[in-house]
Amino acid sequence: MPLLDVKNLTVEIDTGSVFVKALDKVSLTVETGEIRALVGESGSGKSLIVRAIIGAIPDHWIITADRLTWKGQNLLGMSNEQRRIIMRREIAVVFQDPTSSLDPSATLISQLEESIPEELLDKGMFWHRNKQRRQIAVGLMHKVGIKNHEACMQRYPHEIAADIAQKFMIAMALVSEPELLIADDPTRSMESTTKNQILRLLSGLNETRKLAILFVSHDLLAISSMAHTMTVLYCGQTVESGKVKHLHRRPLHPYTKALLDSAPSFQINLPPKSHLVALPGTIPTLKHLPIGCRLGPRCPNARKECVKVPEQKMVHQHSYSCHFPLHSPVDDDLENKQ
Amino acid sequence: MLNLLLRYINLMVLTIAILVIISFSLAYMFPGDTLTNISGIVPQSNEQRVALEAVFKLDRSIFVQFWYYLENLISGDWGVSSSSQVSLLEEISIAFPATIELITYALLVSIFVGIPLGFIGGIWHHKPFDFGVVTFSVVSYSFPVFWLALIFITIFCLQLGYLPLSGRVNFLYDIPHSSGFILWDIMRADIPDKKDAFLDALRHLILPTASIALVTTAIFIRFTRRSIMDEMNKGYIEAAKSRGFTTKQIFFKHGLRNSLLPILPLMAMQISTLFTNAMVVETIFSWPGIGNWIIQAIYQRDYPAIRIGMLVVSVFVVTLTITIEFISRAIDPARDKFQRGAV
Repeated sequence: MPLLDVKNLTVEIDTGSVFVKALDKVSLTVETGEIRALVGESGSGKSLIVRAIIGAIPDHWIITADRLTWKGQNLLGMSNEQRRIIMRREIAVVFQDPTSSLDPSATLISQLEESIPEELLDKGMFWHRNKQRRQIAVGLMHKVGIKNHEACMQRYPHEIAADIAQKFMIAMALVSEPELLIADDPTRSMESTTKNQILRLLSGLNETRKLAILFVSHDLLAISSMAHTMTVLYCGQTVESGKVKHLHRRPLHPYTKALLDSAPSFQINLPPKSHLVALPGTIPTLKHLPIGCRLGPRCPNARKECVKVPEQKMVHQHSYSCHFPLHSPVDDDLENKQ
Repeated sequence: MLNLLLRYINLMVLTIAILVIISFSLAYMFPGDTLTNISGIVPQSNEQRVALEAVFKLDRSIFVQFWYYLENLISGDWGVSSSSQVSLLEEISIAFPATIELITYALLVSIFVGIPLGFIGGIWHHKPFDFGVVTFSVVSYSFPVFWLALIFITIFCLQLGYLPLSGRVNFLYDIPHSSGFILWDIMRADIPDKKDAFLDALRHLILPTASIALVTTAIFIRFTRRSIMDEMNKGYIEAAKSRGFTTKQIFFKHGLRNSLLPILPLMAMQISTLFTNAMVVETIFSWPGIGNWIIQAIYQRDYPAIRIGMLVVSVFVVTLTITIEFISRAIDPARDKFQRGAV
């Protein structure tokens, strides 16, 4: 049974006059101990999926799903209190912008100590508790790679660099020893050295603790180096999903191909001064969504049938939603063996 | 921190210096004799005039005059009232505590009613209770204070007769003047019917306090409600929710402090509004405070009293505003410590 199972998740948001399907039948699974990447352009609804999973969707938006389960428990059906307890102990989230995700008027150490659940402190008297909290907090800071913890633990969020703040966010996420870490574009607006530190930290945690990670990003290079599986999102629809290496070798959906082609680092035989491949046009706004397959107007292979939403087809762990896949789908694993 | 303190002290000293200059120049700008305006004494003969001019250094240059004026202000020699010939310092030390007492109670009522109501309205916004709170705040904000005071008098004093009409305490009780704060004086006084006097003073306080506090409460409700609504939508609240904290924990540990920080200086701004309203209400309720006293001085063209009264009130407001601004700056870690001081 997968850890997190999302099937046909639809979120309709209120644009003032009409409800728009910002997410249209999105499917996503995260298995125990895997790093699942969620890729898509800005505005494709990546963060909305995260918010739907953690339950931060405003009450008046309509959210429906065939399945939205955490270890078999239905997240949509349960009470707020049950959901809060799951968020407290089993799922952790790291947000895009670390500085605004920290309370501006509290010191970092006090916020980190606040995140430590009572159950983790052994049953000493209450005056032992503060010392224990401090020990756990300092241990966590070392674990996430903050070496000179004395220098930054009494600081306020606006006084430290974004990468240290993000490390604090990761430390806070890890404190409750979660099974799934949802990282919503954790390296946005960081330069490559600090970005690599954060990414190494995350993949290290995945290896040592068997921590499952849902890694939301549009950084293909980072994804290909750390993720095991990936789901490609376009404009609120899942277009393709499967193992990273299979998607790289043989993308079935035109959008996945365009996405991979737009990153020159992946193309080994790229001649010098060749054109950078990109799809014409831009991602449509929520008010002007095309019917059927939402890639339709930009798709190089679009035909008459594309005005119907394609069914999601599954071939050996590799699923895609396209009427006219680029290749005939074959069993990637079988091919590996041959 | 010391740097910040120095900046604010600098700001305060400069502002007060300008106020002193204005009050000094009023002696020249008011109609009539400058000598009378500055001393409060109308000279009866030419010899007396020459003697008084020598005392107040009016025969010397304007800078010497100002220096002498400043010395007198600091030493507490504020001149005499031209209508009663009583020392102004003495009159103000009787009238001013009465006003401070009134606005203190009004401020306390506004804080303890306005801020909780604003918080509840902001947290459950767009719910029936919030609509009630907003309606209350808009309606009470729109009342002119003097009209509200008159309505209160009509209903509670004249129609129902529950509460006394004017003054601080019934004339039956002879309260010796010590600090000027009536409730404190009664508690300290050695009189037989202390409890009755205390209750009587409280009954006198209700209507003036209510009329002043209503507007300020409305303003506090609006500030607090807006601020908590803004803060509860911010990223760190969502992050705290995603960490699975309880709503209570999120509100009391994060939301409350962060939404109070930006409204503290805004509330300091309301002190001047409070003072203005207090002056109007004092006149209506014959409360023997500084507002009533200044208005009497204006009626009698008592220029020295107007000048000194204006100076005392404005220095008080400036000092209080700058102090609160300094405190709010000092306790808010996110605000830049090296930013210039401002009111």
